[in-house]
Amino acid sequence: MMKRGLATFLTGIMTVTLVAAGLTGCGSSTADKGSEKVRLMVWSPSEDQSKDSGEWLQTMCNNFAKEHPEWDITFVYGVADEATAADQVAQDPEASADVFMYANDRITSLTDADAVAKFGGKYKEEIESTNSEVLLDSLTVDGELYGVPFTTNTWYMFYDKSVFSEEDVKNLDTMLEKGTVSFPFTNSWYLPAFYLGNGCTLFGDGTDESKGVDFAGEKAVDVTNYAIDLAANPNFKIDADGSGLAGLRDGSVNAMFTGSWDANAIKEALGDNMGVSSLPTYTINGQEKQMLAYAGSKAIGVNAHSEYMEQAVALAVYLGGSDAQRAHYEMRTVIPCNTELLKEKDIASDPLVQAQNDTFNNTSILQPFVASMSNCWVPVENMGKGIRNKSVTHENAEEQTEAMNEAMNSNGIN
Amino acid sequence: MAGKKLQSAKKKKMINNTIVHIVLAVLAIIWLFPIVWVILTSFRAEKGSYVSTFFPKAFTLDNYVKLFTDTSILNFPQMFMNTLFIAICSCILSAFYVLAVSYCLSRLKFKMRKPYMNMAMILGLFPGFMSMIAVYFILKAMGLTEGSLIKLALILCYSGGAGLSFQIAKGFFDTIPVAIDEAALLDGCTRWQIFSRITLPLSKPIIVYTVLTSFMAPWLDFIFAKVICRANSDQYTIAIGLWKMLEKEYIDSWYTSFAAGAVLISIPIAILFLFMQRYYVDGVSGAVKG
Repeated sequence: MMKRGLATFLTGIMTVTLVAAGLTGCGSSTADKGSEKVRLMVWSPSEDQSKDSGEWLQTMCNNFAKEHPEWDITFVYGVADEATAADQVAQDPEASADVFMYANDRITSLTDADAVAKFGGKYKEEIESTNSEVLLDSLTVDGELYGVPFTTNTWYMFYDKSVFSEEDVKNLDTMLEKGTVSFPFTNSWYLPAFYLGNGCTLFGDGTDESKGVDFAGEKAVDVTNYAIDLAANPNFKIDADGSGLAGLRDGSVNAMFTGSWDANAIKEALGDNMGVSSLPTYTINGQEKQMLAYAGSKAIGVNAHSEYMEQAVALAVYLGGSDAQRAHYEMRTVIPCNTELLKEKDIASDPLVQAQNDTFNNTSILQPFVASMSNCWVPVENMGKGIRNKSVTHENAEEQTEAMNEAMNSNGIN
Repeated sequence: MAGKKLQSAKKKKMINNTIVHIVLAVLAIIWLFPIVWVILTSFRAEKGSYVSTFFPKAFTLDNYVKLFTDTSILNFPQMFMNTLFIAICSCILSAFYVLAVSYCLSRLKFKMRKPYMNMAMILGLFPGFMSMIAVYFILKAMGLTEGSLIKLALILCYSGGAGLSFQIAKGFFDTIPVAIDEAALLDGCTRWQIFSRITLPLSKPIIVYTVLTSFMAPWLDFIFAKVICRANSDQYTIAIGLWKMLEKEYIDSWYTSFAAGAVLISIPIAILFLFMQRYYVDGVSGAVKG
């Protein structure tokens, strides 16, 4: 690998100036060309384009083209899932899709690279009128809206109805008396749910970087102690590397925490006994506290460098609109978020939709997307691993919690 | 007395051998363990990424069938062919570059010879992926980052730097007596004829070594392919495909097929290796001698 890289590196140095000059030359051009011909590049996850799940993207784009006979649109499709699209676009906006889907936790990398267009005017009003406030907040940076939300992104609880009643699943400790619960204890997307539930905060309300992380004090130490007991509970199993799902399959686990991406596999394992619910409460020092998940959204963004801005924005709004969301739900069980669509009977009665939206609205916090958030993952993961390995005990819980808080507030450099 | 001594020496030898063999056997098991596990997993019938037993409870070929039939989300056959094409092309190109550069540095005396070798060594100290973003923008400026031109871009990437990895082949060429070259020169051979008719036939081991290494690099590379392919899923190489199979959306249904894919990609390398193995050992030891 070295050898080949080197020559390229050499040439790289020699040509960097040349390329830089070339790039400035082909910057964005104006949208209004007076021509009817439009070329739009659209990126989506590959399932959206696969024949097995009905070619959602192609169908929607063709419908869009039919609705707009004034434009002669050629669609070019590319594959980029929501988790990586933002990085790809930010890396090189000019060679990226006009319309793409991204997960909101990467929104700042897009805005920092000036890669994503703001929505305004009638489009903004339309988006605002059909989506909840929290959802819009997840796509707003400095008061500007940067995407059309099409689904929420969070985790909740799947359980075996033959083991737990609807009453049981309201409290985690009650559940642990009746069956086995598996939780991704060593994954820092999940573990903070306990800390957040007991009053710990991230960056004030999640947007104020200067306030820092507050995972300290008695409230956090209590949670660490609770977590140590939880890990020691014989009815509690740590979910790692897919062990939760495997446990549901062979019956050794009766409840697990994950998101819609595992729903089909769980349905297959549990059949009609599959229950879905938002997060339970847990009892700490005799008080019931609500677990709080990280929540985010997935949205359709428009490239700020798009040559056909008008059409790209219209397409993004169409792909995030209620018709497209309904088709997405029917073809691929992508949980809709359009408030009008959620009122419709068949969708509103789907337990999966209910659970996801309950979680988003009631038992979650918006996952902060300030830059310092990137310091928060590893310390929490280490805490989970420490508890699993029994290096964090009741005796040193206080100092370990303090150390975690300190690490979360530091970028490790200064 | 003498007989006894002989016996005890024999005994000692046997004990020694037993210990050595036991140690080797333990090491072999440790080394082979992950490979056996991957092969077993590729035939595993149970779904999902987590199992509680080392040996699968049931065996199936479905994981392999799925790789080649379920192409709507991850098109493995296409990725396999893409990678094979890229690997073969860059293998031929870079093998030629390496041999040609090594021959020149070993046989021709020119002014820049020493500076070139020093420069190559210093550049060799930097990791290749350091330049990947720059490489991407250069390729983009040349219009090579869209459609099937991506294959060309990747071939350029993998073979372009080959001229810097001449050390081993040059070492080998140095061991071939210059007198043979001179004799040929007297008989009226050109430099190219000496290279192609005399030096190359004498250096089979090092050719094999060069071909093997320059085939494996593009076959296994992930980082350049990922940076250059971006959203062009029809140009993906198998390394990207296998990586995708482990994303959280796919891992549960694709995990066993991932193992099957891992087994499959080792086949071309294994064939190439078996075919060329007898030269390979000679090649490496010959080079070390030089």
